[in-house]
Amino acid sequence: MVPADRDLVVRTQDLRFAYGRRVAVAGVSFTLARGEILGFLGPNGAGKSTTIKMLIGLLPPDAGSIEVLGLPMPARQREIQARLGVVFEEKNLYPNLTGRENLTFFARLFGRHDLDLDALLERVGLAGRGDDRVHGYSKGMRQRLTVARALLNRPDVLVLDEPTDGLDPVSARSIRSIVREEAARGAGVLLTTHDMHEADGLSDRVAFLNEGRILALDTPEALKLRHGERAVRVRRRVDDGGVQETVVPLDGAAGERLRTLVGSEGLLTIHTEEATLEDVFVDLAGRRLE
Amino acid sequence: MSWPRIRQVLRKDLHLGPRSPLLLWAVVIPVLITLLVRGVFGDLFGELPRLGVVDEGGSELTVALKDRDGLDVRTLDDAGLLRTQVTDGTLDAGIVLPAGFDAAVRDHEQPVLQAWLSGESLPGTRAVLIATVLDLTRAMSGVDAPVDLEVVALGEDALPLDLRLLPLIVLYAVAIPGGMVPASSLVEEKEQGTLQAVLVTPTSVAEVLAAKGLLGVLLGTLAGVVTMWINGALGNSAPTLLLSLLLGAVMMALIGLVFGAWAADTTTLFAAWKAGGLVLFLPAIFFIWPGLPSWPAYLMPAYYFLRPAYQASVEGAGLAEVGWLLAIAAGLCLGLLGAVAVMGRWLQRRLAAGRSGNAGPKPVADPEPAEAAPEG
Repeated sequence: MVPADRDLVVRTQDLRFAYGRRVAVAGVSFTLARGEILGFLGPNGAGKSTTIKMLIGLLPPDAGSIEVLGLPMPARQREIQARLGVVFEEKNLYPNLTGRENLTFFARLFGRHDLDLDALLERVGLAGRGDDRVHGYSKGMRQRLTVARALLNRPDVLVLDEPTDGLDPVSARSIRSIVREEAARGAGVLLTTHDMHEADGLSDRVAFLNEGRILALDTPEALKLRHGERAVRVRRRVDDGGVQETVVPLDGAAGERLRTLVGSEGLLTIHTEEATLEDVFVDLAGRRLE
Repeated sequence: MSWPRIRQVLRKDLHLGPRSPLLLWAVVIPVLITLLVRGVFGDLFGELPRLGVVDEGGSELTVALKDRDGLDVRTLDDAGLLRTQVTDGTLDAGIVLPAGFDAAVRDHEQPVLQAWLSGESLPGTRAVLIATVLDLTRAMSGVDAPVDLEVVALGEDALPLDLRLLPLIVLYAVAIPGGMVPASSLVEEKEQGTLQAVLVTPTSVAEVLAAKGLLGVLLGTLAGVVTMWINGALGNSAPTLLLSLLLGAVMMALIGLVFGAWAADTTTLFAAWKAGGLVLFLPAIFFIWPGLPSWPAYLMPAYYFLRPAYQASVEGAGLAEVGWLLAIAAGLCLGLLGAVAVMGRWLQRRLAAGRSGNAGPKPVADPEPAEAAPEG
């Protein structure tokens, strides 16, 4: 479903950027709606980071336009940044400050002096550790603190660059949960990740980038239906005692074949199969997503 | 530019300061060097040797001592008090002149005169006091000196070495906290990636640079003033001296920002600072060895705040004498401000390209080595 214009928090049109003669982004257009989670997927060098840098005001585009919350970037950069939350892949915190001091500093840069930091620290699972210096934090704790930092200004647009990369499952789950909560609150979330399962589970829509272009942009379900193959995998024991595995593609003849297999003796397991986002990317780009 | 945001960045840097070995080093080392020089040479602008006298008989020696230049003679009523003040270092030495002392000297009775020396007094001070008392006592006895002392001054007619070292100490005190601290603070933010995190808030590069520059100006001025204060040199033409130190700290902070914006990492910064430091510190050489041709000093920016600071503290020069030098220093600061503005824009472009300064690619957000390749 295409969101109404009034619900859009980000709209880019034909974005282009080149580092010298190397083209990094070659005409990227997309929209992000309020409350939507948009997954940005692509291999290294696909143009994800450059697109994000243009979106958050670190890089002016060579061509094309960006509107965030109805304001043009970079012309209204400061106003936009006041309503942005960004989580970098790098855990860029002040190691010699405590978690609370890190948050206090950034909150003041946003002009927020009245925040309940205890509640925020508790929300990201750092209650009781806020007064420890960051250099003593684990990688997961640092990442949770960067997420807390991105939430200081109750952002209308949240940009997350590999937010769960290298984290333990508990930390990763905690961060995914916060991302869902923020989207439910109404923030538009732009998420880059290499984790296909994460993108599949979190994203309302997914954009596949390759060589500076968006190859496909749709819901994960629609992409998998369009570019992948669905099938049923049936395993049964055969006369010689071995196990036979049969994959039945879900085409017009699938019903008859499945009835035969299910009715036969020695049935062990039946599993449905569908394409993964990885399969979709391979189908689109002709290469693996690495 | 937003002053509240500049203030927040400055406040954070000041808060981080005591936890930063570099900042402590930058502030403490100039003071240590000053104390070291004081230990070797005595106070650069030190007090006169302090001699306490308890005169129980109205001795002429007391009058003669008070008339002698270069001594701080204090008369006391009580020998016990004198002993206490010598013991606690309030006085460098003390003597008790008993009643009838003058008559005994004139009668060549060789009366005993006990002198108490403070354990904290410098050897040079002790020698001056003892020699002066002996010389005046001999004169009072009416006996000629056994030798006719001919005094010949050797060496160049120059200020003592301790005074000539003053510009080096002041330069160090202003340059390291004033220049090195903002430079390293900026580089550290680049290395940690925190600069990017700050720049995606409504804070601009100009505001960050302004805060770091202010940090340098504050620390540089403070270190300069403290160093001069330790040496008791603030009394001579203090407003001119303070203005010189302030301009020096501004100049060093701006130079530090140029270095900090350019350098990609701490190693590069220190290497560049060492190389640049040779030029930066060169003017001090012309004060230490005044016989050298002085024209090369005019080519060094630091000379234009160092010379006024030196003249204000040593010669008591006012704005009328050194104003033109300070005007040149202010002009240089304006030029450096332009250089900082250019470097700020350059830094922003480098950060956006995923590079933190002069060196090779450094992924900042998503590691995309191909994108982060060198420009052009």
